[in-house]
Amino acid sequence: MEVTVKIFRYNPEKDKRGNYVTYKVEADANDRVLDVLEYIKGKIDGALSFRRSCAHGVCGSDAMRINGRNMLACKVLIRDVGANITVEPILGLPVKKDLIVDMEPFFDNYKKVLPYFINDSPLPEDGRERLQTPEERARFDETTKCILCAACTTSCPSYWLNGEYYGPAAIVNAHRFIFDSRDEAADQRLQILAETDGIARCHTAYNCTVACPREIKVTKAIGEVKMAIMTGKLD
Amino acid sequence: MGLKRDVSLSAGLRYRGPAGYLTYILHRIGGLGMGIFIAMHILASFVGGRFGGTLNGIYENWAFQIFIFFCALFHAINGLRITILDLFPKLLDYQTEAIWIEWAVFLPLFGLSAYVILTTALGG
Repeated sequence: MEVTVKIFRYNPEKDKRGNYVTYKVEADANDRVLDVLEYIKGKIDGALSFRRSCAHGVCGSDAMRINGRNMLACKVLIRDVGANITVEPILGLPVKKDLIVDMEPFFDNYKKVLPYFINDSPLPEDGRERLQTPEERARFDETTKCILCAACTTSCPSYWLNGEYYGPAAIVNAHRFIFDSRDEAADQRLQILAETDGIARCHTAYNCTVACPREIKVTKAIGEVKMAIMTGKLD
Repeated sequence: MGLKRDVSLSAGLRYRGPAGYLTYILHRIGGLGMGIFIAMHILASFVGGRFGGTLNGIYENWAFQIFIFFCALFHAINGLRITILDLFPKLLDYQTEAIWIEWAVFLPLFGLSAYVILTTALGG
């Protein structure tokens, strides 16, 4: 089938603003959008720039707006988006070139919520691992799936308006440690998220949950953190 | 070098979000509409005279009243949904269903009220 792909192009060395270039290519309905982009880059226009790494929905490099909605180009088939495709960079982050955005502001916000395991207590007597029950592990299982692709954060209208807002991805990763029974810094993270640019900026637009390629219930995770801040309880 | 992070209103509105995004946008329009209505009301009383009369004429017009009723009712019902989901995060599993319920409550109430406003205004 013939596919018409309209791609946002921006060359910082030549352009003052972005523009759209349309390509017509032959593709199979079962091809992924990433395959089409690779074809265009390889056969038609080598200057086209986009990120990709594993190409299997694990690394989260190729988050982009496809037909107006954030998706991973490696996880979307042509048959799911139709023969007319518009590909644009994700919103709310500076565009460096074509579909490549500067991820630094995203990771700066991510780092603010202390997204790592904190436990300064001595190891158990046997010197081995800190144990937890399957139920305790299940409490934060959902939020361990995050691949930091930024699809959720850059679909959030609150983040579009205010780049200082930590954003859904940061809160999801805070959730992962806040509800981990082995971690000891939940209070510290809840305090950070209770600040002005934290959880209060979530207005439940629900874009994040739909955008997440890992199907994490992002709004629910944010809701659980909100409740933990309100009640001070983690159950 | 690069394009700034600015997200224009049109880019934001063109984002193809789910049903929750529409309610998010309408909630803001509702809040803005009520703000405009209150500001016009205060201004009309404060300034008075011909300008006040003109403002009075605008917000007493049936079309404006239907718009304001839409703003107030939608803002209230949507706000209630958000509050309930904030208080009971487990219900966020049923976010989409909650939005359908919201529309099921809102549409008959708004339709009936708009009908009453319209028949009163146009019927005499």
